[in-house]
Amino acid sequence: MRTNRLLATTSAALCMAVFGTGCSSDVAGSGGSGGLRVAASSTDRIPMDAVVAAFRKKNPDTKVEITYADTDQLQSTLRTQLSSGTAPDVFTVWPGNGNPAALQILQKAGYLADLSKAPFAAKIADGDKSVTQVDGKTYIVPVTFNGIGAIYDKETLQEIGGSEPRTWDDLIGLCGKAKRKGKVLFALGNQTPWITQLVDYSLAATTVYTKTPDFDEQLSAGKATFSDSAWRDTLKQYLKLNKEGCFTKNALGTSYETSITDVAQGKAVGVVQVTTSIPQVQKEAGADAELGLFALPASNAAADTRIPGAVSAAYGVNAQSKHMADAKKFAEFLGSPQGQEIYAEKGGTLPALPNDSFKADPALASLIAMQKNGKTVPFMDQRWPNPKIQQAHFTAIQKLFAGDATIDDALKSMDKATTSQ
Amino acid sequence: MLPALAFFAFTVLVPSVQGGWFAFTDWDGISPVKHFVGLDQFRKLLDDTAARDAVVTTLLAAVAITIVQNTIGLLLALGVNSRIKSRNVLRVFFFAPAVITPVVTAYLWKYLYAPDGALNSLLGAVGLDGWKQDWLGDPDLALWSVVAVVIWQFSGYSMVIFLAGLQSIPGEIYEAAAIDGAGPVRRFWYVVRPMLAPAITINLMLSVIGGLKLFDQVWVMTQGGPGGATDTLSTVIYKQAFQFNQYAYSTAIAVILTVFVIVISSVQYRYLSRQERNSA
Repeated sequence: MRTNRLLATTSAALCMAVFGTGCSSDVAGSGGSGGLRVAASSTDRIPMDAVVAAFRKKNPDTKVEITYADTDQLQSTLRTQLSSGTAPDVFTVWPGNGNPAALQILQKAGYLADLSKAPFAAKIADGDKSVTQVDGKTYIVPVTFNGIGAIYDKETLQEIGGSEPRTWDDLIGLCGKAKRKGKVLFALGNQTPWITQLVDYSLAATTVYTKTPDFDEQLSAGKATFSDSAWRDTLKQYLKLNKEGCFTKNALGTSYETSITDVAQGKAVGVVQVTTSIPQVQKEAGADAELGLFALPASNAAADTRIPGAVSAAYGVNAQSKHMADAKKFAEFLGSPQGQEIYAEKGGTLPALPNDSFKADPALASLIAMQKNGKTVPFMDQRWPNPKIQQAHFTAIQKLFAGDATIDDALKSMDKATTSQ
Repeated sequence: MLPALAFFAFTVLVPSVQGGWFAFTDWDGISPVKHFVGLDQFRKLLDDTAARDAVVTTLLAAVAITIVQNTIGLLLALGVNSRIKSRNVLRVFFFAPAVITPVVTAYLWKYLYAPDGALNSLLGAVGLDGWKQDWLGDPDLALWSVVAVVIWQFSGYSMVIFLAGLQSIPGEIYEAAAIDGAGPVRRFWYVVRPMLAPAITINLMLSVIGGLKLFDQVWVMTQGGPGGATDTLSTVIYKQAFQFNQYAYSTAIAVILTVFVIVISSVQYRYLSRQERNSA
């Protein structure tokens, strides 16, 4: 461990020496209070604060210090802290394999404690095991179930004289209705890289995964490529929606924040977003605004429509934690019905573990129904073989929207990322 | 002096040299396992179009920042070195952006540059609708929009250095040149410019190095987008290290950037020093 610490320090210093602020971060910090240290994404601040408060009430003798950071900062800081032995006791871990702080990457390096014996482990749904377990052992506590769909304001949809689309043709027709009323159907903030993936993930859930549910396994095994798959149709559909004027005019110059504001102000009917954005849209639109959610149809056979839905927020316990008992106790609380309910209620999501007593936000009704009917598909990047694919995808979508690349170029760049070291 | 040198060596030099070793390994930045791979990471660079594009972008940005920032800085310095009453207020006004952290100014400009933001609204209000642009969303324009922010922020910084140089020139020399019939341009070229040589050297060195390391403003405003159009060497280093799990490769690019900075600034320094000696 001493060697690792030295290496991490020296590498950080090299980075600092070379390009200054690029490596600097003062978040997800080191507490030094002697209590349990928890690090979480700043998007989860509201629900996590509530969970910590409830945990403290139940365990008054356990001191908990919580720090938050944006996703990028959290991922980079965690990596440095883990390799230098200064990481928090409990921290956000992304399910699956899609990003630098995802389960399979951290577990492979030996940084996650085995949580298989915790009571929540037995409750994890079969469909979620591929992104929460490695070699049959549970290493993270899944907390929320999140979806990606069209979040819309019911009043604005009424204003354009539309209704929830059930087929691809309905969707295209709805774009026209919105345009005729001087609005766009969907606000799109493709300036923010992670936003770029939401529309085609939503379309791919139907276009790719209805016919090839094991596409990601095939991709990992080298038996499939993006270029020779229905991803080609998915990207065509994405561009078709853009051509039909379904999105914000200058999507590449529009940020996530602006896209949310556009919905709240009625400039756009809705936004294709993760369901954790519902509280923010609601907050900006006002408590009176009634929001709805529908799965983005990508086929004219309504029964084929699927929605991306997966374990979203999840936490792991540091294998080197000096407060292992407290850390596991906290993880178990996150996995308990009480912890899950608080987290989901405050975060506007669904509990990751089955919980019949939970009363969900009405806007989530269609996601719940699709989850019950087995019509959800895990977020694509969670099962892709490496984190470079997602980043290649972000760049490819921006290039497609800028007219700097063809669909063929985009798919090839994703294939190249799939096979790169 | 010695304690400071020892501290600097301990915290910067030694770790930097030790850290450079990662460029010769296959470390992913998190795994306890790493292997020596020789020059493999550097060879990888040759096939990496994103890194090659970033080199071009970085050089373009550095050149533009160096030329425009210093030209504006010099003009501002000449302006506020005059005897007008409000010169002190103007000096503070022009220097003010330089004291704000680049991240804050970048966030501010990100909103000003938005398609429905203040800049386009202002252009519309004065009847220049045709000039409205997608400042950060157009790949042909995004880099220059970011560069403009850097220039806006640090021209005042260059101004202060030029101003210090201008104020060290004795007033009698200006007067003598004026009496000899030299106009403002000739006075600047034959009197002011040679005596400003040290300030020019410092400003050009600082802006070239700053331009080559450009990161904060790009990261906040575009994260290298759209589609990599504003990726600089620094953003590529960050992405490789923290988004792609390619820590060793990232370090290799960082080493290349360091070499870039050393070579370019050394050549520039030698040239400018010669100019200074010739002017003396």
